[in-house]
Amino acid sequence: MRPQINRLSADTPKGLAGSAIDRTRPLQFHLDGRLVSGFAGDTVLSAVLASGIDTAGSHLDHRVGLTHAAAPPIAYATQADNRQRALPMHRTPALDGAEFVTLGGRRSWSWTRLFQPGRTLGLDLDDPHAFGRPWLSAEGTRQDVRDVVIVGGGVAGLSAALTAARSGLTVTLIEASPQLGGHSGLFGTQDGEDTPEAAMARLATEVLTNPAITVHLSTEVFSLRQGMVRAHRVEMADGCARGDVIDIEAGRIVLATGAGERLPLFAGNRLPGVSGALETYELASRYGIWPGRTLVLATASNAAYRLAVLARDIGVPVEAIIDSRPRPNSRFIDFSRAYGIHQITGTVPVEIRANTAGSRLSIVLDGGDPLTAERLVACGGWQPDLTLWHVAGGASRWNDALSRLEPVGALAGIALAGSAAGYFTRQGCIQSGADAIDALLGRERRPLADPIIDPLYETPDATLVDHGERAAAGPTYLDAGPSLLTRPAPPPRHWYDVFRPRGMAELPALSEASHPLTLETIAAGVTLGLIPPRSAGIVAQERVALIPLTPEAAPAAIALPLADGEAEIPDFLQDRFGPDARIHTILPQDGRRLGAGALIFADADALEPLAAVGVVLRTTGAGIRALLANDAIHDGAALFVRDHGQSVAIILVGRAFGSSLQELA
Amino acid sequence: MSDTPADFAVFGSTPLARLLAGLLHQVHGRSTLLVGDSHARYRLPREIDLSVGAMTRPQSWALLAASVPETTRLLGKIAGRHGWNHVDPLFFAETPRAREALGHIGHMAAAFGLSTEAVPPSLLGPGQEGVRMRDAVQLHRPVIEPALDDWLDALGVPRIVPDRVELAPDGAASLAAGDETYAARQAILADDASIIAYLPLRQWPTLLSRQPMSTILTTSTAALAARVMAHVDTGTVLVQQERGGVAAIGPGGLASAAARLRTLLPGPQPLQHAGQVLHQVLATEDGSPAFGRAAGAGADIIVGLGSVGAFIAPALSRWLAGVPTPQEAVWFGERLVGRGDTLTSVADYRPAWGSAA
Repeated sequence: MRPQINRLSADTPKGLAGSAIDRTRPLQFHLDGRLVSGFAGDTVLSAVLASGIDTAGSHLDHRVGLTHAAAPPIAYATQADNRQRALPMHRTPALDGAEFVTLGGRRSWSWTRLFQPGRTLGLDLDDPHAFGRPWLSAEGTRQDVRDVVIVGGGVAGLSAALTAARSGLTVTLIEASPQLGGHSGLFGTQDGEDTPEAAMARLATEVLTNPAITVHLSTEVFSLRQGMVRAHRVEMADGCARGDVIDIEAGRIVLATGAGERLPLFAGNRLPGVSGALETYELASRYGIWPGRTLVLATASNAAYRLAVLARDIGVPVEAIIDSRPRPNSRFIDFSRAYGIHQITGTVPVEIRANTAGSRLSIVLDGGDPLTAERLVACGGWQPDLTLWHVAGGASRWNDALSRLEPVGALAGIALAGSAAGYFTRQGCIQSGADAIDALLGRERRPLADPIIDPLYETPDATLVDHGERAAAGPTYLDAGPSLLTRPAPPPRHWYDVFRPRGMAELPALSEASHPLTLETIAAGVTLGLIPPRSAGIVAQERVALIPLTPEAAPAAIALPLADGEAEIPDFLQDRFGPDARIHTILPQDGRRLGAGALIFADADALEPLAAVGVVLRTTGAGIRALLANDAIHDGAALFVRDHGQSVAIILVGRAFGSSLQELA
Repeated sequence: MSDTPADFAVFGSTPLARLLAGLLHQVHGRSTLLVGDSHARYRLPREIDLSVGAMTRPQSWALLAASVPETTRLLGKIAGRHGWNHVDPLFFAETPRAREALGHIGHMAAAFGLSTEAVPPSLLGPGQEGVRMRDAVQLHRPVIEPALDDWLDALGVPRIVPDRVELAPDGAASLAAGDETYAARQAILADDASIIAYLPLRQWPTLLSRQPMSTILTTSTAALAARVMAHVDTGTVLVQQERGGVAAIGPGGLASAAARLRTLLPGPQPLQHAGQVLHQVLATEDGSPAFGRAAGAGADIIVGLGSVGAFIAPALSRWLAGVPTPQEAVWFGERLVGRGDTLTSVADYRPAWGSAA
């Protein structure tokens, strides 16, 4: 059995002992034959990570970390052949005695798995289906019609649900994670606010006890259109986790999908041991998981400093904080300085390397000695999650000042709320949830407060990017998701570029990627100069994974006019052999079949197509029809069809006039 | 801005537009501007550049046969060997009318020296027949486009993404981009998007109609029977992507294009989109390309060339510069945008358009 080497102790302070798990109810299950231990409340993914398995597999000979955004689908071992039964690791509860297997594409040979380090799932991530979501192609089961569907159970979604219920509407709230509340916890408290945990708990309790609100947890919406959402749900049935796809009709939809953390752009950014600030915080606060005994933070966002302070509070040494901003200010920065945490500003990591065992990271900076730690938490800024907004047909525009895509325009029956709508503060998000309902109901709108602290005191977030094009040991991935897209190669500009080594992972261009592009990838593309800012919104609309929710349309009727009879001359042959060309029936002297389009010449040796005097039109029940120039038909005229390189003599046996065919006896 | 207006402002984002702007400047000594975006490296393709097409007129094949070597030599100098691939496109058809047209297309290609072969039915769907054309040239736009941009920069041809465009009835163009203004004595609208965006409605030729067209990029699927496949019935083009997906460009709205794609792609696996875009294209009434000045006096328009446009750029630049060969003069002269019913028909095969669902 794997010990839970990454689990914090039950008395860990600062709310990082794991609010979702019940340590009095230990459990064990198998994943790919390995015994994994955990606690009630764990997901399969959290239990696996707690047990020290932090590597999904190998992509182009480089290890890739196992994360919430990049985990393979799993299934019960007895249902491994049925991909429709696949379950997501991060939404499936860990169940005592369960036998799970990963479905992530090709697998390493079993005998090599015996010798690979115990921290990897051993997946071959060169298989494009390794992180696939098989349920995306499933049809949904219709659920009860509701007045409003809220997508997202953070503070904005909870606020929207309560506002809608108070307005007498029936509400379904859909949350992808197993808990309500969202991600406010990482961002701390502003003056006059209660703690994020208290606010989330209060709103969640109110929602869960409101009879007008139906809550689907562990349910992820992956498609929608006006009036309907489609989601994949994981729920317990007879002691087993079961996945199904549901369609919920609702006249009004609120998208409170939050904001995603951008992956910082430097080589080695998806090595095991590198994780985002939000995922780090969520794993600790919900499941009491903290891999690594030493920590380096690299950030362009103030929120990561709060994580550094929390790490110190629970006894994890923070070796340094690297900040891409030259002179950042924040209350969290002041706290971290007070803790004596070493801060390096105005620089970015250029490469992360891991030792052979993968247990120690070397963070190479642009100048100076490398830093070493067992873990790197890297925060590349935030991007409102507009994926479903784009799926529904919504538009967006790049905001240069904030380095992010923001929604523009409106959609009938669909409203955005919270961070997805661009709000920054908890207060702004909560108010925007209520405002979204007001907007959908056509009520008078009230001004919203989103009290952002003056940039003088709270430096705005930026991006964390190594712009240099240098040789590195590992790839630079563009996002943390399943596509494993790497930084495209610059276009070849010189003849000698043919000698430039080109990694297999290097895309020639983003347009060539055969995956949907996430918003994080598009934001990375803008940051790297691969996408002009003015085009980012258009690319986001183009490259979202659209899943049509209308009944499957029949293939478009082919509008070719019906044949006008055997004597019809297609438009593309009009005037080709003169205005008085006519259709004749021909017979090849060797009796062979002649295909449509074969050219007819007056000379057996002629090859020049412009010298043709006719062409075979079609074979009918009455013979082979040919279109012939009028002056090619005269007594004693010899005609030859050139068919597949051979010249075949033909004789005329009939003539057509217009559409009425008159056979010559 | 320069006080002297340029001779030509070439509008368009295609390799054809870039080649025209460069050739008019470099070969024919005209001052030119290129007005268009460079987006092949991040946006979905709207069309492909292929040295063969679903054409039936021998005069068109003759022009193409003469122009392809000239174009590929030029592109070789500009973009090196990375800029194109040799491919064996497969044209396939299923309805009787389209099968007939396929026969004409295949025989014409063979007559002009292309190696063609019938495709075994096992590689196609039921009721389909196909012709493979060997050794065609397909441009790789993500590589060609930046190389052409570098070439234009080296030639001193300004590349402009305009904020404002005005076309005068006599075809003159005035543009603004940021704080800069530009002018040209004659606008050349060299792609569908620029015609739709800028051609004054009062000069709109009756020969042209707008059609919805969709591009759908799929995630990886079973491999196609050829890297490029053209469905003659509908004009849908399937392009195998280097990374496993398929880009399908075909007529109609997204729903009908997706439904058609399910019938055209091999394998039983469900179709998953990696991207999609609906846009508009122009079709000529008779299926043949059209050139010349709108309403006889306005901007020059270039429309209906399909996939082969870039490959006739040298001939087209000669014609626009007034120095065509006799054969080119006849070919372009017969395909003026103002051609009417009274002229000799130059109609070519025109695929059926899907519904605009």
